[in-house]
Amino acid sequence: MKRTSLYDFHRKNAKLIDFAGYDMPIWYTSMTEEHMAVRNRAGMFDVSHMGRVNVLGPDASKFVEHMFPSDIANQSDGKCVYTLMLKADAGIIDDLIVLKMTDSHYLLVINAANHEKDLDHIRKHASNLDVDIDDVTESTTMIAVQGPSAIDALQPLTTTPLAAVKRFTHVSSEINGCRAILARTGYTGEDGFEVILHDTGAENPRKALAIWDRLGSAARPCGLGARDTLRLEAGLPLYGSDLDETTNPIEADLRWVISKTKGSYVGSSSLLNRTLPPRRIRRGITLDSGIPRRGFKVLDGSGRDLGSVTSGTFSPVLKKGIAMAYVPPDSSQVGEEVEVVVREVPLAARITKFPFYDSSTYGWKRTNRNTI
Amino acid sequence: MKITGNTAKIGVTDYAAKTLNDVVYLTLPPAGQEVKQFDSFGTVESIKAVSELYSPFTGTMTRSNPELANHPELVNISPYESGWIIEVSLKRLDEEKKNLLTPAQYKELVKSLAQEHH
Repeated sequence: MKRTSLYDFHRKNAKLIDFAGYDMPIWYTSMTEEHMAVRNRAGMFDVSHMGRVNVLGPDASKFVEHMFPSDIANQSDGKCVYTLMLKADAGIIDDLIVLKMTDSHYLLVINAANHEKDLDHIRKHASNLDVDIDDVTESTTMIAVQGPSAIDALQPLTTTPLAAVKRFTHVSSEINGCRAILARTGYTGEDGFEVILHDTGAENPRKALAIWDRLGSAARPCGLGARDTLRLEAGLPLYGSDLDETTNPIEADLRWVISKTKGSYVGSSSLLNRTLPPRRIRRGITLDSGIPRRGFKVLDGSGRDLGSVTSGTFSPVLKKGIAMAYVPPDSSQVGEEVEVVVREVPLAARITKFPFYDSSTYGWKRTNRNTI
Repeated sequence: MKITGNTAKIGVTDYAAKTLNDVVYLTLPPAGQEVKQFDSFGTVESIKAVSELYSPFTGTMTRSNPELANHPELVNISPYESGWIIEVSLKRLDEEKKNLLTPAQYKELVKSLAQEHH
């Protein structure tokens, strides 16, 4: 089993699970409390298990142009782009964030469960180009600090004015004397940063543990359980549950990541040929009672099989069961009444827009800044 | 569980409550339902998982804890007191009692389960 630099803290304080081959915290004290800490104040997550891969060299911009459906090479240095890695038939290999460092340097942050598969794909497409692929996952640490007070929690550890870093951009700086990349991104729907710490991994955890310890005075340690309920409430898909190689970006409701102006890239011809509406589309579903789980059937009012739940949970904010599912476009209107079959009992549910929570009260767009 | 005369208030153990983490939902039968020793009578759900609830005795369910609909977290906070789940009118208390673990035996079981996980 692999361990992150923060394993020593997790072992003493968390319930551990095997996640993509890593010993990771599922929760420290209570998933609900950790979830609400992020919605109302600040939480911190060890996300070091995610893959971090540098693409370096004269052809690095050519590489990202060829690999991804989004406009990345023409962005300014310091931009972060959420994008997809596609097969030739536009099936999704992975979803990821690409950090543009310079025209000749990009950093890809990929899912832990897809690490080896992605590296194979990346190396295959890099083989004809003048680029080096440098996997720095094990020599770095990644910590997400998330929530309306995330900046307050992180600011004492750095001289970089964090409020000046725009959403989906990053800066290189120092955190507690450790070289770091600070990206204003996250997977919770909230404001916050994902911090990549250089030169500290499981082999030399001292700097990472010191930073985690200092952050702990203002942010609550949160496990992967809360990370999952937070991303679900925010309507963010999880690879392996809501996305896989049989889903394409249109079905996944990720059309917005596809550039309207880009030329050829892996999967482009397949996407261009797709003029018909998709067969199915990813939607949110809310239940009045009961908790939807992965694999549960979704029916329309007359009992027609619409599809099945790809991920579901109990929403700590709404105090209701929420889910993602793929349904036919003619049953995908927000407000549409459907049913979710929970252990043989069909329960009333309705199609709901993402995010599930009220964006004026929760999430990074919130206008009501009063924290509880 | 807590037995008063011929009635038992049934819930989960402290170990089960801790292992489940936050209980957020329960599915329970209506009053009047017969329950059988070691048979499932409902489910308890945490954020991550669904678990069956097993009855330690045979009998007729007289009521479920009315507080749990709005406060399922009582199962975590107070599994032996305010977090009780159903009340059962017992049929075969004396003979069925012999089939159950004593608190000391349960403690041993939990200890061995905990060791398996380390």
